[in-house]
Amino acid sequence: MIFQLVIVFPEGKCVIATGGLTISSISTSKVTQVVLKIIKHYQEEGQGSEVVQGVLLGLVVDDRLEITNCFPFPQHTEDDADFDEVQYQMEMMRSLRHVNIDHLHVGWYQSTYYGSFVSRALLDSQFSYQHAIEESVVLIYDPIKTAQGSLSLKAYRLTPKLMEICKEKDFTPEGLKKANIGFEQMFEEVPIVIKNSHLINVLMWELEDKSTVADKHELLNLSSSNHLEKSLQLLMDRVDDMSQDIVKYNTYSRNLSKQQQQKHQYLQRRQQENAQRQSRGEPPLPEEDISKLFKPPQPPPRMDTLLIAGQINNYCQNVKEFTSQNLGKLFMAEALQGHN
Amino acid sequence: MSRFFATGSDSESEESSSADEITPKAPGATFKQSLLLSDDEEDTKRVVRSAKDKRFEELTNLIKTIRNAMKIRDMSKCLEEFEQLCRAFLKSKNIVDKEGVPPFYIRLLADLEDYLNQLWEDKEGKKKMNKNNAKALSTLRQKIRKYNRDFESEIAAYKEVKSKTKSSCLFSMHCMNLWGGVNLGLIRSDESSSSDEDDDDDDDEDWGSDQSGSSGETSDKEEGKTSSMSMLFLKNLFNTLFVFLILSLFVFSPIATIQEKPKMFAKGTEINTAVVVKKLNEILQARGKKGTDRAAQIELFHALAAIAAENNLGQGILVKIKFNIIASLYDYNPNLAAFMKPDMWKKCLDCIDELLDILFEHNNIFIGENIAEDSENLAVSDQPFRVRGCILTLVERMDEEFTKIMQNTDPHSQEYVDNLKDEGRVCGIVDRLLTYMENKGSTEEICRVYLRRIMHTYYKFDYKAHRRSLGLQGETKSEQDQEESEGEDSAVIMDRLCKFIYAKDRTDRIRTCAILCHIYHHALHSRWYQARDLMLMSHLQDNIQHADPPVQILYNRTMVQLGICAFRQGMIKDAHNALLDIQSSGRAKELLGQGLLMRNMQERNAEQEKIEKRRQVPFHMHINLELLECVYLVSAMLLEIPYMAAHEFDARRRMISKQFHHQLRVGERQPLLGPPESMREHVVAASKAMKMGDWRTCHSFIINEKMNSKVWDLFPEAQRVREMLVRKIQEESLRTYLFTYSSVYDSISMATLSEMFELEMPTVHSIISKMIINEELMASLDQPTQTVVMHRTEPTSLQNMALQLAEKLGNLVENNERVFDLKQGVYGGYFNRDQKSYQQKQSGYQRGGYRNQNQGNY
Repeated sequence: MIFQLVIVFPEGKCVIATGGLTISSISTSKVTQVVLKIIKHYQEEGQGSEVVQGVLLGLVVDDRLEITNCFPFPQHTEDDADFDEVQYQMEMMRSLRHVNIDHLHVGWYQSTYYGSFVSRALLDSQFSYQHAIEESVVLIYDPIKTAQGSLSLKAYRLTPKLMEICKEKDFTPEGLKKANIGFEQMFEEVPIVIKNSHLINVLMWELEDKSTVADKHELLNLSSSNHLEKSLQLLMDRVDDMSQDIVKYNTYSRNLSKQQQQKHQYLQRRQQENAQRQSRGEPPLPEEDISKLFKPPQPPPRMDTLLIAGQINNYCQNVKEFTSQNLGKLFMAEALQGHN
Repeated sequence: MSRFFATGSDSESEESSSADEITPKAPGATFKQSLLLSDDEEDTKRVVRSAKDKRFEELTNLIKTIRNAMKIRDMSKCLEEFEQLCRAFLKSKNIVDKEGVPPFYIRLLADLEDYLNQLWEDKEGKKKMNKNNAKALSTLRQKIRKYNRDFESEIAAYKEVKSKTKSSCLFSMHCMNLWGGVNLGLIRSDESSSSDEDDDDDDDEDWGSDQSGSSGETSDKEEGKTSSMSMLFLKNLFNTLFVFLILSLFVFSPIATIQEKPKMFAKGTEINTAVVVKKLNEILQARGKKGTDRAAQIELFHALAAIAAENNLGQGILVKIKFNIIASLYDYNPNLAAFMKPDMWKKCLDCIDELLDILFEHNNIFIGENIAEDSENLAVSDQPFRVRGCILTLVERMDEEFTKIMQNTDPHSQEYVDNLKDEGRVCGIVDRLLTYMENKGSTEEICRVYLRRIMHTYYKFDYKAHRRSLGLQGETKSEQDQEESEGEDSAVIMDRLCKFIYAKDRTDRIRTCAILCHIYHHALHSRWYQARDLMLMSHLQDNIQHADPPVQILYNRTMVQLGICAFRQGMIKDAHNALLDIQSSGRAKELLGQGLLMRNMQERNAEQEKIEKRRQVPFHMHINLELLECVYLVSAMLLEIPYMAAHEFDARRRMISKQFHHQLRVGERQPLLGPPESMREHVVAASKAMKMGDWRTCHSFIINEKMNSKVWDLFPEAQRVREMLVRKIQEESLRTYLFTYSSVYDSISMATLSEMFELEMPTVHSIISKMIINEELMASLDQPTQTVVMHRTEPTSLQNMALQLAEKLGNLVENNERVFDLKQGVYGGYFNRDQKSYQQKQSGYQRGGYRNQNQGNY
């Protein structure tokens, strides 16, 4: 079975601020096995909450990004610390080129565990990708959902706003405030279209007819608690982190305001003294560097909070999606039971 | 010369100083001729001297300064003077050749050498010396060595005499007496032959009886009536006499003079009570003075006691001397930390025993510390003796010394066992004192002696009573039977003594100690209810923190014993509560006074450490710490494991025992779990088994060979405790099992449960009923089928999780609002302040309201 993956950029949204280059839209009919390769990679190497990663290859055609091939990053082990990843990638791409396969780097993929992927690491690497190759995307593959019967594959890009912030590396509260960015505007999802060649489609139809195990039991599975529990657990952890961050911020702002007050008092006193001296005909006191006297407290970086918020949002979406599906199923089951 | 009297009392040394003044001027009586001849030499002063006198005066002066320098350890001065002395000695060579080496010179040489050697050995003292002194010391030492070679034989003779005299005081004392008399006689004959007037004969007699200074003076005055010339002459005569006397004494027994002179009674002196008391006081006055030889003092007292006994002066004086002997035995060690040497200790015990013997034999002796010195009645008369002194204090001190000895002995040595054997004697003495006091003492004294008795009783397990209570006496041999029936049960004794103290004692401390000991004793003998009630009634728990450390240690010991007792009785919860305070601090060793913790070393200085060391409980009274910890951990396990199972999903569950959890965590952290080795590992392994409701494994971990030998066999009723323990493990495992797995069952037959846990049906029934009543288990009993039917009311884990999440979100919102509050605060100006605080209050209310709402929703 061979899928063809086409990732479509919604029109007009993909204006990349820096270069002014516009990728408008879609399509190629080249055959790839991207999705299956990703799934296979996870099955073979990833277990539990471990994450697997790899490189996406493809090319931009008009306003579409066509991903036509991929290869995995080798698993890191302790022994080969001096393993050069970049070298490996270059080698790999060169080899692919020799066999005449698309060899343009267009992003990377990563598996996820219950939708927990919004992290600093992801942000950083996606930023560097997007910084170097404008059209880069990150594909997030959720093996658990896939195991439940519906393929879950999502493509994300950083918004231009976030790109700018990351470029300036200004994660202070003020910086973020100025940029006016919330957790909703950090990532943009890009719609995905998976395409197969016509021949494959034909084969599929044929297979479907012949197949005896076409029952899709997983889809109708009613036991939901396990998945929900896990999600809740993760959600709770993030909420705890969030609480901590807020407390940190709280102390920071309290310290800041206290200091501001002190500074104000100091200035006032200074002014009064100067006025007195002037009336006595003495020269005013020399100016002192106030910022030295009152060192502002170190502001806590707010990026992590944003990311956590994004992650929480993500979890909530997941749970919401999951529960709405399950509710449907439950009602259906109830109705069926009543009918019987 | 002053060293001459070093061991003497004060009055003696005064005397000596007066003698010093006289000696230099003293012309020799035997040199009358030369004296007469040289009459005109020093006309102006009208003091007549021979060449020998002059030289000797020079020498003695130098010797005096050397001795002074020795006293203050001024080595450079010593060296200087010594060199001068050598020169002076050379000058007087011709006289010395004629007369022989003067004994005082030899004495100095010998003493100086000894002294220098002693200084040389004393490394620390040498360190402290300044550079000059140290240098002088080494030079002087070499010099005197070389110099003394010339006088070897004389010095050896001197030393021999010295050692001889030391060995037998009494003998030398008599010697002194004798020689004193002989000398006097000699002199007198001399005198009578050479002098014109024999007026001073009376004075001579006085000399012997130590009254020389004053009487000499008076005699001088009397003589003063005659012509000044004759007076001087007489004075000279008189002085000569004195010097001669002393010199002659030196020759025969130089050191004996030094040591024994102070307490010697002149021959012919009537030894009566007054004289002995006077002597006693003289010796006593030296007490506590620097440079007093304490050992010698004790000897002196003994000698005095012997004299008193010899002369039949009566028991009063003997008792008084004995008091002083014991007191000086205690005084022997200069500081509190040092403990008595074994021979001293034996002597002390003997002395106290003898003293008690006397007191018991003679009913007419009154002793008391409030009898004034002058109202004492020591003489034999019709009236009863009255002696100042307190036997109780002495015995108390003896007891403390005993504790000190035990503290300072290595508990794992044979020596300790040997020392411990003295405990019987100590107890015997306390017992004797107790009988004595019961007849004679005041209530307070009785209370004190009772407390001593209690202190020696409370920690001992009464095996006799124990055996008797088990009804085993029939099996024992007849001798043992007799032995058993002889002694009173310690419980009875404790009861009697303690109740007396409760009723009569006025000082809070004695009563507190008595109560604690009583509780300890009850607990030790498994009388749990009495012990507990006494503890609760005494309200000691409320105010023990105000007590002094030793009492607190006793309290801690009592609490621990109480906890262990509760454990033996199967009162697991009580046991846990009693032990919690001691065990949770992790300083059980320190709190029980059974050792110092290393980690506090930096915090305390040497002084504090000494104090703490003094508080330590002797080894034979220790409570086994491993037993204590095991009891604590096992009771914590029996409480905690079911609790943990019951509250698995409770976000706000509390730990019953932190220490137990700590042990569990330590066990979990181990990468590789081997079979348990230590006691702790056994308990942890057992806990894990119990968590699964597997009582058999749990049982095998708690009770096995290893644990038996380490812990359980230490109990007097080991088998009973083990049975109790098995039972508890079964019950608690059943509870844990029900908590953990009730969600899996729809219903479960009680017969199955009873089979699984090897408990009888009624027990299972009662346990389950109790759980249902306490709303721990959501179930009901189905009578006809004998099954437990589970009700599904417990929230599922998902629901629990959702509840937890809701709570966390509540917190988050709260925190967020706080940030918001602050923002408002920053923008609020001065005039808005009131308003602002009002707002804050409001928002606070709102927040509270929100929270309340939240909680309501749960």
